[in-house]
Amino acid sequence: MQHLRAIGQTGEVKRATVDDVHERILQIWERLEEEKKQDVKTLGERLEVRKE
Amino acid sequence: MANHRADEKRFLDDRGNSGPLAPNGLNPATIMEKPVVDRIIDCYFWKDQCFGVNEADIVSRVVDQVHFIGGTYGDSQKPSPFLCLAFKLLQLAPSDDILREYLDFGGEKFKYLRALACFYIRMTRQAKDVYRFLEPFLPDSRKLKQKRRTGTTLTYMDQFVDDLLTKDRVCATTLYKMPKREILEDLEVLEPRVSALGDIEDLLDGEDVEEVDPDA
Amino acid sequence: KHWDDEDDDVDDVDDTDGLDPEFEYAQWKLRELKRIKRDREAIEEAEKEREEIDRRKNLTEEERK
Repeated sequence: MQHLRAIGQTGEVKRATVDDVHERILQIWERLEEEKKQDVKTLGERLEVRKE
Repeated sequence: MANHRADEKRFLDDRGNSGPLAPNGLNPATIMEKPVVDRIIDCYFWKDQCFGVNEADIVSRVVDQVHFIGGTYGDSQKPSPFLCLAFKLLQLAPSDDILREYLDFGGEKFKYLRALACFYIRMTRQAKDVYRFLEPFLPDSRKLKQKRRTGTTLTYMDQFVDDLLTKDRVCATTLYKMPKREILEDLEVLEPRVSALGDIEDLLDGEDVEEVDPDA
Repeated sequence: KHWDDEDDDVDDVDDTDGLDPEFEYAQWKLRELKRIKRDREAIEEAEKEREEIDRRKNLTEEERK
């Protein structure tokens, strides 16, 4: 524990509320959806390149 | 209490002492067997990914790190990330409202989050609540990877839920003995289960279940 | 594939859903039917046992007379 206090951590972590949990789920889901869209785009671009 | 301890030391010190009990009356620190707990707190995943984690961080960990269910696996009986996070939940003791978020809103999107919450509920809730929380997911046919000592197999959410409701041992953990569903029905604690298939009389009379091989 | 070590995530198991929804539903339906059948058989079995116990109880009462 000592080295953690030294870097400013108390060894305690804040409890999450139901809203925090809901928010986190949404945030991760949106991030993944965004990544998926990006992937489709890059794949699309790659296919375009291949056609040329 | 607005804070959790970041590590497990106090949680495990409470073994057999005055730590708060789970809703089913069991001590969360001793629900998993000692050798399994020792393996968990000794493994790299636990030290690296489960320190200072709260109920919301659990969601992130599951999505990023849990790609199969299981207890310990391989020849070295390594504890799975799934099992480590289940142990973390025993320490965090999330409320029913938070579990509902894991099961429903989160569980629709992330199947391993639903599976983890189901496992945790089976370990800590009273029988009637276990049935009420878990049975609605018997129609969930999504695939789950399962790692065991002998290798990786495919199972399904409904199968996993059914295992939790009917088996004694799941994911390296001996589950406490629940009264059978019929008994709770006789006591009028539970209504008879209605299958998502609807009227089953017709279905059962019409088909011979035994003769069809699902893996064929 | 014996060169895979235990930490290697390369295995034959694919947990992607929705590749063949009809087949996946058919498989689920079969599992559900088996569960229903199993549960029903368990109830019938318990009832039979109860009847048997009652029958024996009645027998001994008859014999006592």
